[in-house]
Amino acid sequence: MSNQDIALMAHLMRRAGFGASRDELEARVEMGYEAVVEELLHPTDPQNLPDDIIRRYHTEQAEMRLADGAAAYWLYRMITTRCPLEEKLSLFWHSLFATGYNKLNQARALVNQIEMFRRHGMGDLATLLVELSKDPAMIIWLDNNENHKDSINENFGRELLELFSLGIGNYTEDDIKECARAFTGWTLGNAEYMAMRAARDSIWPYSRISWFYEYREADHDDGEKTFLGETGRFNGQDIVEIIVRQEATARFICTRLFQFFAADEIDEGGEKTIASMMKTYFDSNHEIRPVLRTLFNSGYFKSDEARFARVKGPVELVVGAVRMAGSYHTPTQGIEQVARQAVYMGQGLLQPPSVEGWHEGIEWVDSGALVERVNFVAHELANVENPGVRKIIDRLAGEGVFSPEALVDRCLDLMGPMEVSEETRASLVEYVAHQGDLSLAGHQQGDDAEKRVGGLLSLASSTKEYQLA
Amino acid sequence: MSTHTTSTFTLDYVKTVGLATNQIGRGFINPYDVAFSRDGRIFVLNHCDSARKNLMRVGIVDLDEEEYLGEFGKGSGTGDDQFNSPVAMAFDSQDRLYVTDELHHRVTIFDASGKFLGKWDTKGSGDGEFNGPAGIAIDQQDNVYVVDQHNSRVQKLTTAGEYLGQWGEPGDGNGQFNLPWGVTTDSAGDVYVADWRNDRVQKFSPEGKFIASFGESGTGEGQFHRPSAVAVDLQGYVYIADWGNERVQVFDANGAFQLELRGQATESRWAGDYLNVNPDEKRTREMSNLIPDLPPHLNTPHHISSQTEPYFWGPVSVRLDGQGRLFVTESNRHRFQVYQRS
Repeated sequence: MSNQDIALMAHLMRRAGFGASRDELEARVEMGYEAVVEELLHPTDPQNLPDDIIRRYHTEQAEMRLADGAAAYWLYRMITTRCPLEEKLSLFWHSLFATGYNKLNQARALVNQIEMFRRHGMGDLATLLVELSKDPAMIIWLDNNENHKDSINENFGRELLELFSLGIGNYTEDDIKECARAFTGWTLGNAEYMAMRAARDSIWPYSRISWFYEYREADHDDGEKTFLGETGRFNGQDIVEIIVRQEATARFICTRLFQFFAADEIDEGGEKTIASMMKTYFDSNHEIRPVLRTLFNSGYFKSDEARFARVKGPVELVVGAVRMAGSYHTPTQGIEQVARQAVYMGQGLLQPPSVEGWHEGIEWVDSGALVERVNFVAHELANVENPGVRKIIDRLAGEGVFSPEALVDRCLDLMGPMEVSEETRASLVEYVAHQGDLSLAGHQQGDDAEKRVGGLLSLASSTKEYQLA
Repeated sequence: MSTHTTSTFTLDYVKTVGLATNQIGRGFINPYDVAFSRDGRIFVLNHCDSARKNLMRVGIVDLDEEEYLGEFGKGSGTGDDQFNSPVAMAFDSQDRLYVTDELHHRVTIFDASGKFLGKWDTKGSGDGEFNGPAGIAIDQQDNVYVVDQHNSRVQKLTTAGEYLGQWGEPGDGNGQFNLPWGVTTDSAGDVYVADWRNDRVQKFSPEGKFIASFGESGTGEGQFHRPSAVAVDLQGYVYIADWGNERVQVFDANGAFQLELRGQATESRWAGDYLNVNPDEKRTREMSNLIPDLPPHLNTPHHISSQTEPYFWGPVSVRLDGQGRLFVTESNRHRFQVYQRS
């Protein structure tokens, strides 16, 4: 098993998941790269922390009165799943179809939306967009409950075209109006009462009442419509079928997938990869799974230039650190605080700043957010009681005496492998050098030798390189 | 109004008491259990979600007028009148109230006015020590039974905290437990334990000898998904909070299924007061169907209960008062529903 194989697998798992331990990487390298891609693309047995356990020990996640409990619930899923791409892709759709708690006051509807992304996120785009259009959280978020036969509300129709599929410049104002007409009558059950409760943030008398989709035929405009050059008595489903056939839609979706999974910036090689993804999109009748397969198996994705070419988003960073540390794998008080940490870093799960989602890439890392990022990860990895840290220590313990240079190299290797600059490496070596060589032979849990390892892991996690995926 | 039944055993719905709140005073916050003092007052344990931990308390109400009579307990903390994750309560014959706390590993004793009397709070697995005390029951002889969930056992103590015995170990065989929760005793002194993650209720003699087991995993009659609590009336009928299936099932003394309750909450007096001063909400509420048909992907008990307000949602506790009335406490709906034999 070569270091290159491990490094490539680590790259795949950072992008298609939230990183992986050395044990997992070695097992996956044994499977082979393309087999791992297929496993990731076919999530079947996530074995995440079970709902019954979560609900018994986290009342806020049973009731989901507020966003924090719901965000923590999703965090548990990301932290403990064995199907990380399912969650990572749901995070992608959540970023793209950004729907937020602040207008809804209905966290369970958002959790149900994320569950919809799990069900349909890798399937054909038309089904996903129809389900999105029927999603009660989206309906309230973009006012489609106010989109009536005799008085249209364009908000959802506009964003469906601009932010969710075609992209600006690929439709007219008339297309927006016709699109909105097609979605009249697409609302939620007990819409008037639920919208009023949402607007008032009412939990009375007996807590939240969750939402479900309802089609009101009498409120649907069944007249003839002309949309993107086609004419007919279109309903919402017909509009979506037209949308997914557009080249602009293929380019929009493939570009966003590329930027989320491959690289923040798109160079010439990136353009070629996106073109391949678009071809797959049309060849596969608009299925997302084959598009992702094309991306992950592309030469560009596997190349050196794609490595560490993305800034980790806050949720990626938090979940990756917790998975590496092995913490929060059982019901743990404070999991809501972990969700809060991502908020402080600029990404509150289920709380995007607007329908445009988050500004990603280098914008994740302003000075305030950077302090939060570094402190959180350092805290997780400095704790030698955490199971994941213990696994690293146990490996080191069986490998003899380490010089400061060898210790730094080995820890960077086990944390990623992480690639760091010579300057960064020298700083890390300087940190551990003053206590000389390290041997973990005969070590006791929590002793000074172990704490040196924890300290080094913690410091390495604060480097610029760790902020990249 | 009678519930569906397969025998002559029927239960009539009586009323609902409760209202969600975000402050002290009238209303409940994730109630987990009720207990009845000798004068008939109802003590309600507010477990509280993590955002309202500072409001953990025991509220006191009466059933007939739904008056809020008072409260005690000072939120989350390590003080004697504070909690961390309170789970269950029971009164002894002297009207002393015993409250378990699964994260403080503590049983706290109050008098009926809420005055702190004492506590048992040694964490561990030794005699009289606790690791996650959950359900609690006190029989007619004042034997105290505490479900020591993470030690997979039931401990029997005197009201003075003296250790009398224990039984149980991890597993799914007879006399073994997997994260047990609720407990009760019947008029003969036998002990029933909601063996939560084994999807069954086990019955023991007062000394812990295994007698019988009710149920198996599933959603049908006589099947359970994570039963949380059990109560037994004077005729031996067994009422089980089938928490994961969001329902209550009733069995006769031989374990024969009698009926299930799904819940039929109506507006409590407090709920009516709220809606009367919020007429816009009341008007749109009255236009609504609060028992809707749901699409298939939402057709699970938990989802159904989250969208169907009259149904039980998070039925964590079943208790019988001195008149044999059944109280079903719903954590997620901040209320309890009351039923009585026809």
